[in-house]
Amino acid sequence: MLDRSPQLNLCRLRNLSTDPGLPAGAWLARGFALMLLMLLATIMIGSAASHPVAESHHASPSETVSKMNAPSKMLHLSLWISMPMALIVIVSLLWSWMLRRRVAHRTWEIQRELGERQQVEAALRESEVRFRNVTEAASDWIWEMDENLRFTYLSERFYALTGIAPQHVLGRARWELAIIESAADRQKWRQHRQMLEKRLPFRDFVYRTGIGNRHGVDRYLKVSGKPIHDDQGRFLGYRGTGTDMTEQVKAEAALRESEVRLRRIIDLVPHMIFAKDRHGRFLLANQATAAAYGLTVQELVNHSQRMVHGIDEEAERMLADDREVIESGASKQIAEESFTDHTGHVRTLQTIKIPFNEPSLSETAVLGVSIDITEQKQAKEEVARMRLYLKNIIDSMPSVLIGVDPWGYVTVLNQPAEQVCGASWETAQGRFFGELFPQLESQFDQIRQAIRLGHPIKTPLMTLEDHGELHYADVMVYPLIADNASGAVIRMDDVTARVRIESMMVQTEKMLSVGGLAAGMAHEINNPLGAILQGSQNILRRIDPAMPQNCAAAAAIGIDLGRLNRYLEQRRILHFLEGIREAGARAAKIVADMLSFSRRSESRFAPVNVEDLLETVLRLAASDYDLKKKYDFKRITIQRDFDSRLCMVHCDKTEIEQVILNLLKNAAQAMSECEASSPTILLRTRYEPQYVLIEVVDNGPGMDEKILKRIFEPFFTTKEVGAGTGLGLSVSYFIVTEQHRGRLSVTSKPGQGACFSIRLPLGREALP
Amino acid sequence: MTGWVLIVDDEEMIRENLKAYLEDEGLWVVAFEAVTPALNWLMDGGYCRVCIMDMRLPDIDGNTAIRTLHRLYPEMKFLIHTGSSSYSLPDDLRAMGLDDACVYQKPLGDMAPLAAVARTLALRENRL
Repeated sequence: MLDRSPQLNLCRLRNLSTDPGLPAGAWLARGFALMLLMLLATIMIGSAASHPVAESHHASPSETVSKMNAPSKMLHLSLWISMPMALIVIVSLLWSWMLRRRVAHRTWEIQRELGERQQVEAALRESEVRFRNVTEAASDWIWEMDENLRFTYLSERFYALTGIAPQHVLGRARWELAIIESAADRQKWRQHRQMLEKRLPFRDFVYRTGIGNRHGVDRYLKVSGKPIHDDQGRFLGYRGTGTDMTEQVKAEAALRESEVRLRRIIDLVPHMIFAKDRHGRFLLANQATAAAYGLTVQELVNHSQRMVHGIDEEAERMLADDREVIESGASKQIAEESFTDHTGHVRTLQTIKIPFNEPSLSETAVLGVSIDITEQKQAKEEVARMRLYLKNIIDSMPSVLIGVDPWGYVTVLNQPAEQVCGASWETAQGRFFGELFPQLESQFDQIRQAIRLGHPIKTPLMTLEDHGELHYADVMVYPLIADNASGAVIRMDDVTARVRIESMMVQTEKMLSVGGLAAGMAHEINNPLGAILQGSQNILRRIDPAMPQNCAAAAAIGIDLGRLNRYLEQRRILHFLEGIREAGARAAKIVADMLSFSRRSESRFAPVNVEDLLETVLRLAASDYDLKKKYDFKRITIQRDFDSRLCMVHCDKTEIEQVILNLLKNAAQAMSECEASSPTILLRTRYEPQYVLIEVVDNGPGMDEKILKRIFEPFFTTKEVGAGTGLGLSVSYFIVTEQHRGRLSVTSKPGQGACFSIRLPLGREALP
Repeated sequence: MTGWVLIVDDEEMIRENLKAYLEDEGLWVVAFEAVTPALNWLMDGGYCRVCIMDMRLPDIDGNTAIRTLHRLYPEMKFLIHTGSSSYSLPDDLRAMGLDDACVYQKPLGDMAPLAAVARTLALRENRL
């Protein structure tokens, strides 16, 4: 509008004035037309008067006049009159035209001048309006100072923008308005004054003023100015613009404060908070992040992770995650990642990364939070480890352990329990314990009672039936009282073996007391036995006809000894005597066996050659009365498998002989019972690290497990009544284990013979 | 009669049986039920070369009796016949030349070995 207005005016001015070119032509044309008209009228008059006139028309006027007649003279006269008239007319016409033309031209010039002035004025007005608009619309105001640097003018915007009434300002210098508090302020003002006094232009000087404020709010003003001079270069003052910075300063302060607050918050968070650009450069990092790299926040920000991270592969992995987030635009959760901090500790982090867009950033970055879950993970692992550890512990317990809830449903089984019920923990869980352990179903009452009373309940030596065999178990119900869950643990220990050992020990103790008793009584019993045995021997001897003394005595009283002997045989007296002798011998044997149960001093221990000992025993066996009589020892093949490294063992020779002889007798007896086709006894010796092993192996009928378990019990015998005392093996066991601190064991299966192993501890003299 | 064997045993039947057996072996045997009468007999001029001594005796313990006899009659040989199963030879008796072979455990099912030893000792060359 403003731009077009001068042109518009120009057009208007042009329309007002007459075009000087066109009217001048029109006047000329009109003059010519008039002259031509007059010329034609003269000619027509002339020709009408005389024809020759027509011809003389082209001749000089003098000629024509001379030749004219009266009418022609009339004509000539009129011609003379009309000619100057015409000329005058023409000239006047021309003059008039010229005049008009000049007037028109001048008018046009005046008009133009007028138009131009109007135009300038309009432009000026326009400019003024514009300037006013600008100054009023702008956020700045205009100020002016005189040569004394006192305010002389302030545009209206000043009040509008600052709310400070101009009267507070006008006539005062700027520094009179300012609030100067700090040394920095004073310095700033000093410089400013110097600048003004030197009449230098200045820009963007910011100061605080409390003048004329409305709500007790100080205002921040920013001013720029330059000196003004008149045409002669005299300094007139300063003119410049000013802006109210208060809101901006406030906003900046608020922003700074908010940033500080945010900073404090993110620095307070113990987790790592960071932002990185696509090149891995840290744009933001909190203290936790910087600390992880062993840096301060200032040191970390603007540095690439590649530079600050010690472990390249970790950095690359993290940066790859960053790029993924940036490129996909989707957040990413990293449940677990390892991170080696500057001290070299490997930490486990849980990280969330999201794309990060900020107006200040040219491209998308990534914002992330990493939570250090190292301890959490360690704790979790520790819990898992502890659980496994406890599981291993309860599994390692030989006791059957069954955890149940208050209603008797299984919660936990240990390995022995799994073996007993034949179900795994997983499959057993949630099943009623009585279903899995029918033998323990009766404990349900104890479970409820234990939970109710809060103390364990014991059921010792509960008898259980297992495949027709009697077992003993100690059962204990422990109540479990936790915060919410309650229940119980049933502990069952199979004490069958212990009960057996205990009963065996009881019997051994009995035997020991028997042995002690026997030792005390031995003298008293052995004397009468001696009398019986010796007496019977003397009787048999003194009736023997082969003895000269007998014959002499018989002859002296007239008896024939031969006939007496026949009588004695006939009446079986000799047989009875033999019976007495045998019974006496057996009684003596029992007493001797019983005496074996007494502990003896080791004074009888001596180094014994194992091979010699075995050979002695074999000789004894061959000549043994019982073996000879009942089991025909000669039929048995004896194999020897002796370890050449063995030589001496420290033992009581007669005792060990007794043990081995006893084993040989048992083997012979067992083989004769089953009538083995080729009865064989293998005597084997072996050198073991701490023991001498002597084995007696037969190929007899063997034994089942039940017999094996009880074979060393005193008075346990498989022989018919009267065939054995039932003490043989228990005495052997006693001799080997108690007196020699050795071991006696047996392995056997029905139909596969038996192997008795004696292990005697090696003494110093055991090896040559 | 050859050879002198002294038996000291409080059990009459043992004493008698041993005496009978040894006498049948042709040895001259004297038997006492206790140590004191035996000592008295020796003091009175009795003489023996072998003594078969019981241990548990009514007056004096067998070991002590052997020590006494050995002191008085160093040439005398001793055999021990005891009913005590836990008997073991004291060291001073071993020093006198006794060993485990000289110890016979009651009851003797067969008196022959004891008799044979006694006979050998009784009939050894007389150095007195």
